[in-house]
Amino acid sequence: MKRFIILTKAMTLMYLRNGYVLFWNFIFPILLMFIYGAIMSQYMDYMTPGVIVLNALSFGLVSSSTMMLEMREKGVLRRLQATPLPAIQLIGSYLLVNIVIGVLQSSLIIVAGALLYKVPVNISGLLLAYPMILFGLLAFMALGGVISGVAAKAGAATAVGMTVYFLLMFISDMIFPLDMLPAWLRNIVPYLPAYPVAQLVRSAMLDASLNPNWLSQMALLAAYGIGATLIAAKLFRWEPKA
Amino acid sequence: MSQESMININNVVAAYGALTALNDVSLNVQKGEIFGLLGPNGAGKTTLLACVEGLHKPKQGETLVGGINVQADSVATKRQLGIQLQKTALLDDLTVAELVKVYAALYEVYLTSKEIDVLLARFDLVEKRNTLARRLSGGQQQRLALAVAIANDPQIVLLDEPTSALDPHARRAMWDIVRQLHNEGRTIVLTTHAMEEAEALCGRVAIIDRGRIVACDAPSALIARLKLNPMLKATVELPLEQVRALPGVSAARYTGEHLEVETARPEAALTALHELAARLDRSIRDVALRQPNLEDVFLKLTGRELAEQN
Repeated sequence: MKRFIILTKAMTLMYLRNGYVLFWNFIFPILLMFIYGAIMSQYMDYMTPGVIVLNALSFGLVSSSTMMLEMREKGVLRRLQATPLPAIQLIGSYLLVNIVIGVLQSSLIIVAGALLYKVPVNISGLLLAYPMILFGLLAFMALGGVISGVAAKAGAATAVGMTVYFLLMFISDMIFPLDMLPAWLRNIVPYLPAYPVAQLVRSAMLDASLNPNWLSQMALLAAYGIGATLIAAKLFRWEPKA
Repeated sequence: MSQESMININNVVAAYGALTALNDVSLNVQKGEIFGLLGPNGAGKTTLLACVEGLHKPKQGETLVGGINVQADSVATKRQLGIQLQKTALLDDLTVAELVKVYAALYEVYLTSKEIDVLLARFDLVEKRNTLARRLSGGQQQRLALAVAIANDPQIVLLDEPTSALDPHARRAMWDIVRQLHNEGRTIVLTTHAMEEAEALCGRVAIIDRGRIVACDAPSALIARLKLNPMLKATVELPLEQVRALPGVSAARYTGEHLEVETARPEAALTALHELAARLDRSIRDVALRQPNLEDVFLKLTGRELAEQN
């Protein structure tokens, strides 16, 4: 346990000292709020939960893997593999730090929404929203893990992650309502991973309620999360592809 | 020296896909020795270490560390090892002191900051204790890699090219550190493609070429066993075929601009060289006689140079 704590502390320090990572994880989400706020300030009630999920999506698919991919590319993972540290502890420590960061980012966005755009926030709504955010984060991070496993290099993983992110961003009822989409796409979207998270988080935050489909949506997310975790574990590599 | 085996490598075959990196390699490293793996780049030195470190699973054969099979219980074998990989990649957003603390902790060894300072002092890094690892110079990073390698106080230390890319001064300093670790009773295995390093440090060396061990013994014994003649060295341009035909000359080659002539009768060979040079109107400079070294052993055994240029 002591080993796990020291390792987790070290990972946190590494995060805090990496300016590039700090910008994308903590400044960028706020910038997102400013951008959307400038474009459509009257819709910020609807937008804020969307920005939270949008941000969780980019964090899960791309940013949360960045440090791990860098460590893989620089040979740090191989050096760690040579120590008696069990892989499960390394990955557990890494995930813990990233989950905390993901939740912090969402909190930043909520605070920004409340302060800048008077988005109504109530405790019971937040109590329901946070588990949903966490649920979404875990599913997105697992998908990010699959992308890291497939991609040969960090650059490729970012490219793939960003592509998936942009596709999901426009069609998952985060920025544009679903009824703006063509019918065929509207039928597919509910089965993609981002839409259910947006639905769950939005109804939790704004109405402090679960939407009627919450059970099937959470089951779908769990399936994505568990499936992706198993695939990511299978694909995990200590070294970059030659 | 006691004859307790610290590392046993038994008939190891290792491959990367279709490429065979190690072909039926067997070695024993005894407690308390400095053992050198000498060979050109790509010979299989790093792969051999990776098999011991539990980073590469051999296709055949087995590797034991302290009597424990690496494949059967890699956590137990990793625990006994101190490791420095060729590519020095640590967690470089951490400071020197933090790094040592973390890596020791990965072995479940928990150092106080006083203990960390004592360790850093040995590697002349105390003043850098609060510096980020990525801000260190090459030599400092190499020393840090070594400090990290022994942070868990291992009995066996594996060093992959510990002095490559170091200037001569830093290289000497590194040799001193390796000797210190040896004096503390640790068993050391290091790889190198510099024969003078193997001669200076190692009690025994294994010469590796293309995934096979071509010889394994004390450097002096290797040289003696091959009955190599002294080498006559001179700066001169002469056709090699004509030099080889000279009386007393058993072999000749160029290393850089130096002509090297292996000869059992140096005086006769030198006289003949001078005559040949005079006939061809060339001048001979910087004549020296040297004893055969591991470089010559390698050349004799493999027919190729040790590729010191890289």
